[in-house]
Amino acid sequence: MVIEMEEFEPKIVGFLCNWCSYAGADLAGTSRIQYPPNVRIIKVMCSGSVDSVYIMRALLEGADGVFIGGCHPGDCHYLDGNYKARRRAVLLKSILETLGLEKERIWIRWVSASEGQKFADTMKEMTEEIKKLGPNPIAKHWNI
Amino acid sequence: MVQIRLQNIGTFSMGDIKMTDKVLKVKNGDTVASVNDLLKELLKSKKVQALLVMQEVPSKAMSFPVLISDPDKLNSNVFAPVLPVSTATIISKITKVESASKPIGVVMRSCQIRALVELVKLNQANIENIVIIGVDCLGTFPVNTYSDFPEKATPTEFILDSFKKKSDVVKYLRSACYTCKDPIPSNADIIIGLYGMDPQKELLIQINSKKGKKLLEGIQLEVSKDTNDREKAIKRIREEKAKNRMEFIKDKSNIKGIDALAKFFDKCVNCHNCMKVCPICYCRECLFESSVFDLEVNKYIGKAEKKGLFKMPSDSLLFHTTRMNHMVVSCVGCGLCEQACPSDIPLMEIIIPIGENVQKEFEYNPGSDIEKKVPMVIYKEDEYQEVGEK
Ligand code: SF4
Ligand code: SF4
Ligand code: FES
Repeated sequence: MVIEMEEFEPKIVGFLCNWCSYAGADLAGTSRIQYPPNVRIIKVMCSGSVDSVYIMRALLEGADGVFIGGCHPGDCHYLDGNYKARRRAVLLKSILETLGLEKERIWIRWVSASEGQKFADTMKEMTEEIKKLGPNPIAKHWNI
Repeated sequence: MVQIRLQNIGTFSMGDIKMTDKVLKVKNGDTVASVNDLLKELLKSKKVQALLVMQEVPSKAMSFPVLISDPDKLNSNVFAPVLPVSTATIISKITKVESASKPIGVVMRSCQIRALVELVKLNQANIENIVIIGVDCLGTFPVNTYSDFPEKATPTEFILDSFKKKSDVVKYLRSACYTCKDPIPSNADIIIGLYGMDPQKELLIQINSKKGKKLLEGIQLEVSKDTNDREKAIKRIREEKAKNRMEFIKDKSNIKGIDALAKFFDKCVNCHNCMKVCPICYCRECLFESSVFDLEVNKYIGKAEKKGLFKMPSDSLLFHTTRMNHMVVSCVGCGLCEQACPSDIPLMEIIIPIGENVQKEFEYNPGSDIEKKVPMVIYKEDEYQEVGEK
């Protein structure tokens, strides 16, 4: 008997800013550019509005990856939300690293409204990388 | 091993010291009473309208900050080795809406001044008309050790004595004090100095600002002759604490990975005391005290069905990791969080290495420079590019 192992399909939570990345994802969709269906998209007004509590909640609830998409540096609708988001990502990653948790599960990238292809490529790349990492070990903990 | 780097501490300009150092002669070897004479003088001469200073409660089991305006009622103990609450939080609470109309003197330890400086930078306190009287810190004991002190001497006598004789005071110190970032106050208007002095004979009174100068105008103090001993003593204690800190991180802080982390917080009862006592956690209502994370029953059932089971309340690690993200850049290492934990979770084992690494990342030393902006409100356009686009 052959038991077919189901391939691990990572669950990725994506926070996309309304003005750039979300529009970029939309463009990928309307242009029928193929990308892995692993990302669950949450629209936010700005990458700068994604507090670490949302990222941590996704990770602790067992998401295998968290993606934050914002406008390119200099293009944030609110001027500097993405620069602040980047600093916060550095902060969060530093904390995760000290605690021995996998900071590689968190991605922050810039995707503009016209970059449908880049959005699709980034999702492919991230899905591949998270597959290599394997399932988030936090998911099996019920005592946190 | 966690990498740490020694941070440069405070500002110390030798020129100023030579010009302004004074000494307070200690009468009859009674260090505490001599400082009280000075403080009474400040109240009597109306240099300050009131003082916020540690005073023993009648049972002597504890010392608490009191706000005092009557010099005759002053019987403070600025050296009481205990930190039941954050004096920085008190200043923040009472000055947030308006500043004091007349000067108030606040006697503080270095960690509390650092916390106050952070709160000022976060727009949570107003130190206009607050005169900071810093006291060299010899460390503090846990609340229960202080109240049921096992030695013959009182905690204050014991710590002042040990300072000269090098006794086994270390075994009583809170881990925060054992690993203190800097026991010498920076950003104080005046400093009551112990290091390099003989506290049975004289204390250093160092003037660090215009406010401090004004405070001591007309107060009889002698000019200090030699500050060499003090410089050496300060260097020694800073090195000792830095070494303790590094060893603490190496030996005690090895919580790595989700299994270890979950285990570390196994005893957490979600009381949020650690957040409530933290001087840096300044939000009037913490997100975690609100109902944001309360779901309705069917959602919980759905979650149980998905996971099989989960602990309730289920946001303990979410609370701790979020709290760290929100405050650890400004953590001053006072250890009040650890002291407040009813489950005796040694929180400093996690807070110290995380604070150390985060503060190193942003080249930020909380409480040292009141002009330097907190890292989370500033940025450079061309920094951390590898994080955004690898
Ligand atoms: S986290 Fe703990 S050590 Fe740091 S400032 Fe808050 S109470 Fe003090
Ligand atoms: S004080 Fe202790 S028990 Fe209470 S929330 Fe903090 S870690 Fe948990
Ligand atoms: S609006 Fe897109 S990152 Fe701020």
